[in-house]
Amino acid sequence: MFLHIFKYELLSSLRVKDLIIWLMIFPIALGTFFKIAFGNVYARNTEFSAIPAAVVGAENDPAFRNVCDSVSEGDEALLKVTYTDEKTALEMLERGDVEGIFYAGDEVMLTVAGSGLGQTILKSFADRYSVSAAIIKDALMNDPASAPAVIAAISEDVSSCREIPLTEGNTDNMVQYFYNLIAMVAMYGAVTGLHVSAGNQANMSPLGARRSCAPARKSVSIAASFLGSCIIQGLCMVLCVSFVAFALGVDFGSRLPLVYAAALLGGCMGVSIGFFVGALNMPESAKTGVVMSFSMLMCFFSGLMVGNMKALISAKAPWLNMINPAAVVSDSIYCLNIYSDYRRFIVKMISMVIITLVFVALGLILTRRKKYASL
Amino acid sequence: MENTVVKIENLVKRYGELIALDHFSLEIKEGEIFGLLGPNGSGKTTTINCLLSLLSYDKGNIELFGKKMTPVSYDIKKDIGVIMQNVAVLNELTVYENIDYFCGLYISDKALRKKYVEEAVEFAGLGDFVKFYPKKLSGGLLRRLNIACGIAHKPKLIILDEPTVAVDPQSRNRILEGIEELNRAGATVIYTSHYMEEVEQLCTRIAIMDKGRKIAEGTKEELKRMIRNTETVTIEIIELPEEVRAQIASLPHVYSAEHDGERLVICCSGGKHNLIRILDVLQSRDLGFGRVYTELPTLNDVFLEITGKALRDKED
Repeated sequence: MFLHIFKYELLSSLRVKDLIIWLMIFPIALGTFFKIAFGNVYARNTEFSAIPAAVVGAENDPAFRNVCDSVSEGDEALLKVTYTDEKTALEMLERGDVEGIFYAGDEVMLTVAGSGLGQTILKSFADRYSVSAAIIKDALMNDPASAPAVIAAISEDVSSCREIPLTEGNTDNMVQYFYNLIAMVAMYGAVTGLHVSAGNQANMSPLGARRSCAPARKSVSIAASFLGSCIIQGLCMVLCVSFVAFALGVDFGSRLPLVYAAALLGGCMGVSIGFFVGALNMPESAKTGVVMSFSMLMCFFSGLMVGNMKALISAKAPWLNMINPAAVVSDSIYCLNIYSDYRRFIVKMISMVIITLVFVALGLILTRRKKYASL
Repeated sequence: MENTVVKIENLVKRYGELIALDHFSLEIKEGEIFGLLGPNGSGKTTTINCLLSLLSYDKGNIELFGKKMTPVSYDIKKDIGVIMQNVAVLNELTVYENIDYFCGLYISDKALRKKYVEEAVEFAGLGDFVKFYPKKLSGGLLRRLNIACGIAHKPKLIILDEPTVAVDPQSRNRILEGIEELNRAGATVIYTSHYMEEVEQLCTRIAIMDKGRKIAEGTKEELKRMIRNTETVTIEIIELPEEVRAQIASLPHVYSAEHDGERLVICCSGGKHNLIRILDVLQSRDLGFGRVYTELPTLNDVFLEITGKALRDKED
């Protein structure tokens, strides 16, 4: 009996056009849109541009000119230098053509018109040059033999801080949108789960009434329908993650199998939400509306529409992120990508299991009745 | 026709202030085609839903096949075929798959199920439509699919709740013939309808319901004997003097003679040769008349006389 119901549950679910549109085609279209929209934004955000600067009096300081020339060459040039006179340099600074003016000489001076990243880099460059030049001059005057060693030591990029990456994952902020896209598909599992309870309750639909007349235990029927819905939803989740990872080329780091696991569990959570809503005593169309509205609201709070929404909620109402199913799904994938340990990921997975169990339990409480006061 | 298949005793069902079933009792024997006849809202579907243990009820007792019916009476449910008033099929499954799905809820043996499904397809005349989806079927074919889904597992008791609503005459006849065929094959049938012609044509015994109460029960002949009217004579006549109408009304066995300007309708209770006596009066006065026809009482007349209102809704 279980296998019979399960087989037809799968078959009928696979043929529901709405399901294919909302769970397969829509996420693919939205993911493609994200890729087109955010791909360029990320490239612009991360690409470093050489800082335009003017140098006045370089002809009197060949050493500084050499240094400026060396940092202006190649693909990763730090500066884009223009050698000119003071008047022209000031005009360029005023027009914004350059971010600062270096005055070469015994002591390198810097004039900037404002503050910002470019100006800070120019200031650091000038300071470092001044310090290095002073050390080299001192070495040449007091111990000429040690000068080459001093110059070599200064040339090395020595820092008191060592950069240790927290993760090997993708730190691109834009991937958050793809995490939320996966969360959205998981939430749409609620649409798949709606009919599990409605189709098994005599007071919900003619089909539910008809099924209730058959000599099949309601628990068996619900279990078969629920499992069938979870498998269909699971297929949609696998398709979505695969499309995002392989077709759109979004980097999920080195733990893609666990991303699939999180997505599958998220899908089951979505089905359980639908199962619960389906068991509520309200018209069928209203249930679909409730499920879609709830899904979109949760996705909004998790940052699908506004990127920094989750951070905002994290600051103002952190509890919401803990119980928002969409946020839990996207956070689980985020944790996998960002943190090297599994602790946070496991917490998110447990959260998903708990939310799923809560909704299944509530749905079962509502569907356990076998006789109805009215049909 | 000995064993009692359905026994309903003093069933009471209330929806708040409204009493949907008012101490309703019924007994149906094996092999019967039992008709539940009544206008919309009379309690037919409520009776069926209580019978199937879908609805809770306030009072009374229901036994099927000699056992108390409960929601978990799976041994009873496997012998029942249900054809609901609202078509209950899966829109994403084909005709064949739908019948197989519902049959599979009762029959686990695959080979036997295949045989039953094919027989149900043939029975319902859906052979040319097995690969069609329900949305592609006409109203009549959809009703036939609904029936095929309900009877494929060869139940001993078949409950049909208004199976011919919104069905074309051709499909309706096929459905009625099919029900008779199922009955001949040994099934007991409960048939609810507000179409008196169907019930009259099909059912061996009939219960007439109104406002949740059983107002009459018996064979159609027994029901008709319960009322005064045994024959209605209608004569198309335009000019009819009042004294002639009064003379006809005073004839033996005539209890009513009404003239509406076009027709004279005379109701008779018992007696023979009523028509001859009426026509003699008209001919003796040398009055011309058009068509003359007589009608035996219908179940609608039974209902009308018992309740004072027509059985059918106006829209029917």
